[in-house]
Amino acid sequence: MRIGTLKLSYAADESLFDTKVQWVWLALLAVSLVLLPFVAGPYWIYMACLVAINVASATGLNILTGYTGLVSLGQAAFMGVGAYTVAVLEIRVGTPFFINLLVAGAMTASVGVIVGIPSLRVKGLYLAIATIGASMILHFVFAHWELTGGTRGLSMPPAHFFGIALDQPHKLYWLIMPVTALMVLGAANLFRTRVGRAFIAIRDRDISAEVLGIPLLQTKLTSFALSSFYAGVAGGLWAYFFRVVTPESFPLINSIFYLAAIIVGGMGTILGGILGAAFMTLVPEVLKLVVGWLTPWVPDALSLLAPIRTIVFGALIVGFLIFEPQGLAEIWQRIRRFFHLWPFRT
Amino acid sequence: MAGLALGAVEARAQASNEDIVLGGSIPLTGVFAFAGVGIHAGIQDYLKIVNDAGGIKGHKIKYVAEDTGYKVDASVAAFNKITSQEKVTLYYGDSTGFAKTINPELERKGTMIMAGASFASELNDPKKYPLQFLPGPDYTEMFGILMRHIAKEKPGASVAFVYSDTEFGRDPIAPGEKLANELGLKVVEKIVTPPGSVDVSTEVLKLRRARPDYTIFHGYVLAPIPEFIQQAKQMGMQSRFMGTFWSMDNSMVEKMGEAADGFMGVMPYRYYYDKEGTSPMLDKIRQMRPEYQSTAYMQGFLTAMLMTEAVKRTLDAGKELTGANMKASLNSIKDFDTGGIIGVPISIPGNSVPVGRIYRFDAKQKQMLPASDWIQLGT
Repeated sequence: MRIGTLKLSYAADESLFDTKVQWVWLALLAVSLVLLPFVAGPYWIYMACLVAINVASATGLNILTGYTGLVSLGQAAFMGVGAYTVAVLEIRVGTPFFINLLVAGAMTASVGVIVGIPSLRVKGLYLAIATIGASMILHFVFAHWELTGGTRGLSMPPAHFFGIALDQPHKLYWLIMPVTALMVLGAANLFRTRVGRAFIAIRDRDISAEVLGIPLLQTKLTSFALSSFYAGVAGGLWAYFFRVVTPESFPLINSIFYLAAIIVGGMGTILGGILGAAFMTLVPEVLKLVVGWLTPWVPDALSLLAPIRTIVFGALIVGFLIFEPQGLAEIWQRIRRFFHLWPFRT
Repeated sequence: MAGLALGAVEARAQASNEDIVLGGSIPLTGVFAFAGVGIHAGIQDYLKIVNDAGGIKGHKIKYVAEDTGYKVDASVAAFNKITSQEKVTLYYGDSTGFAKTINPELERKGTMIMAGASFASELNDPKKYPLQFLPGPDYTEMFGILMRHIAKEKPGASVAFVYSDTEFGRDPIAPGEKLANELGLKVVEKIVTPPGSVDVSTEVLKLRRARPDYTIFHGYVLAPIPEFIQQAKQMGMQSRFMGTFWSMDNSMVEKMGEAADGFMGVMPYRYYYDKEGTSPMLDKIRQMRPEYQSTAYMQGFLTAMLMTEAVKRTLDAGKELTGANMKASLNSIKDFDTGGIIGVPISIPGNSVPVGRIYRFDAKQKQMLPASDWIQLGT
């Protein structure tokens, strides 16, 4: 148990992790992420990569929606921009993957800035509709531009690292997981800086923020740019992971998926983006495992239980929203608090 | 010692009789669920017939499927899960996107052949997709069958294409136009609709101005075909309306209501209720399932049949069950009797089975009925 944390400097007050125990757990997490590809089978490594990509994108959306309060339903289309950029660069130019990913991020950030311009005038649902409009335009471009391969899309070669083709999940894991970790760490640190705090100020009350001297347009567009950068890099990772990019790869429903992920996980917390993306990606798979376990008792459980599984997944989301509106991150915090005082107070 | 030896013999016998696994990424939920449920049942039923008859050379065939919700990432997850848990020899994929995504992995593994719910023309290329096949004609070939029929029925006829703005919809349009020119048909209008569009009144007006003798729909399952046909008929259009495989299931066409009468299209398989001639497999299906089974069911059933035949031929030749060997065996299929699932003996020279027949909906009998002979392309 612990009774409190003593902080002797501002730096200590601002630090991301304030106790040694947290550092120990973090180190354990890092070690287990490093060990995962050596102990897990291909299926779980694949799922880990998928979760990591979704975490990167959800974290990006969290910067925009969770921290800056600007609702966006364009995240999937932004990922599309990143994915196409990577695919085009990989096919036509052949530049190394880290350059491609950075260019994808930069390209998507610039698209994000343009899409973000209406955010100065419109907020809430209106902005959400504006971003839907933008994603429709982007989808149209994907499907009709020669460079993006039209409706058939693009098939691309794998990323290469010193001559090694990163063509399977257990190799790509070493690209996807570190990049995601870096991005999440970057986002967490962002909110220790002036820019990040300006985002939060705008979310809480934009007029007050302006009075405090925060330039609204510039800050909102920065938020859009950063969020889109994350989406672009996540889309680039996605492209390397699946190696086929088509206009149908990033439908509007995926944008809703990411929005749901940060709401379920907890808006405006970094942990929320991680937990939400992991929840939304893994729960349908876990429910499939449950269906698999029932197979010996229920003949053809697969086709009988498939629709029920979808209902259970939906009900779980509704349940979380009702019983813990602040998301999985808050549940996590509550568990932590329980153990802080355990066994004296339970 | 004797016991040990016996154990060893037993183990070897077991190894030689180990199950052959057919894995599947099946869309049991999501937008393509109507097909997935049929496909799932079709595969299961055919494998039951094979297994009840003792399997292939003593090997039972085990079907391991996962639901994908018709999403590529979930399909790939299912593929990874199934292939890491089982030694998979045959695989059924649920979409064009999945077929394209998994192809490099399929070639890298080299241990299986794959077919699926996609009839994309792109997949009909043995060089690019050496371990995949389509259990019917590709979409371009479907257009070919339709247009051959049109050219025979009304030489020099005018044709309009109405298709959805998706990969699926756009697939056969450019080659279809070329083929129309070769057959002496005139493509008078091409109308593309956004995916999921419902209001088609402006498109119908466009179609009326073009006055085509035939209108071919592609890239839809149901909507907006009924709206299109209804409005066109109300305007007094005399055009004949046609569809391709996925809009041709009898229960789907029935749902079109009044618009259904006279709706035609290409179908590579025979319908569940078709009792013409001898068709032992259709009889068996009707025996196993007394209620109507969809064309997606037939697709799954035939896919399982062709895959099983490829395995059988490979084992008969004493070869190892590798992807390349099985594909070669599949390509050796010539004048093969499907037991009535397809009305003529079939051959698989490349990646597709380029055969089909035109059916027309009869409103009185509420059934799709044959309107042509079987049309085989490349003959």
